[in-house]
Amino acid sequence: MAARFVRFVRGGLSRSFNFPNRSVTFVQARSEATTTETRPTVRPKDAVTHNQLSAFGEYVAEMLPKYVQQVQVTFFNELEVMIHPDGVIPVLTFLRDHTNAQFKNMTDLTAVDIPTRQNRFEIVYNLLSLRYNSRIRVKTYTDELTPVDSSVSVHQAANWYEREVWDMFGVFFANHPDLRRILTDYGFEGHPFRKDFPLSGYVEVRYDDEVKRVVAEPVELAQEFRKFDLNSPWEVFPAYREPKDSLKLEAGDKLETK
Amino acid sequence: MAGVLKKTTGLVGLAVSQNPHERLRVLYTKILACVQAMPPDAAYRKYTEQLITERFNHVKTEPDIEKLEKKISCGQIEEVITQAENELSLSRKMAEWKPWEPLVEEPPPNQWKWPI
Repeated sequence: MAARFVRFVRGGLSRSFNFPNRSVTFVQARSEATTTETRPTVRPKDAVTHNQLSAFGEYVAEMLPKYVQQVQVTFFNELEVMIHPDGVIPVLTFLRDHTNAQFKNMTDLTAVDIPTRQNRFEIVYNLLSLRYNSRIRVKTYTDELTPVDSSVSVHQAANWYEREVWDMFGVFFANHPDLRRILTDYGFEGHPFRKDFPLSGYVEVRYDDEVKRVVAEPVELAQEFRKFDLNSPWEVFPAYREPKDSLKLEAGDKLETK
Repeated sequence: MAGVLKKTTGLVGLAVSQNPHERLRVLYTKILACVQAMPPDAAYRKYTEQLITERFNHVKTEPDIEKLEKKISCGQIEEVITQAENELSLSRKMAEWKPWEPLVEEPPPNQWKWPI
């Protein structure tokens, strides 16, 4: 089975609250009961939706094993399908035209920049099915040079979204009808949402009285950029803690030490 | 008869169909023919065949349009026709793409790992 199925389930949160039914006359007793409640308030888990979504995710992965790499349902019950970049048009067309999917509406298309990865850009497509009142998120990846197939032939709404992603991240979309800059200023250089783009930008503009026009100059900061240590002292993602495998010996190490 | 009584679908750009049974019969026959050219173990063929055959049986057995809509329970009969048209165009594209083949390429390690 090529598509891996990952579920984020946290067992401790699955407990549902069973409040005994009290009539209105016992309001006093109820307020006392809530004050003595020792369990923390936890968001109730919607197991039905979770199972429906994971079943549909498995259905998609089974239908398109050529393109789907991984399917997951997030903790907040959002279905995510991770696909290979070759499969953008087939997967989106399948989700739009298949009778059991009918995701006819592209609500959003955006990108995420993670510079440490081999393919630093994640392209994210958010789709909505009005027929079944459900949403799905399709994710794929690319790097700075590899073009991704444009999804304009599938969803017209992708036209401006892809221009936005091209402008902000510099991801090239092949076969886009009109791939131009859309948000930045005339003559702007660079892609501002990339993580290596400085916060202050490269140029600043001001009105020059002598030449009677707005001139662009390289940014000069009055003070050197200061780096603050903003790391929290708390562990942020305890659920994602990795097991320590420092004790494990690699098979190749022994041969080298001899 | 129902086509005479029904004036509108209430949906913009979707006209009332005069002979939905005939239209659906043609579309479903085409879809089934297209799907049956695929390899028999393809999941797309399996599920689509099952779905379309079920609807096709309803179309064959139920002459009354309102009851047919209830049995299919996927909107008005005109919407069901649109869905069948989409499924037909999809099945023709699927025959080209062959998505039942094994995965084209595994993701690079840690591509989908989050948080990093």
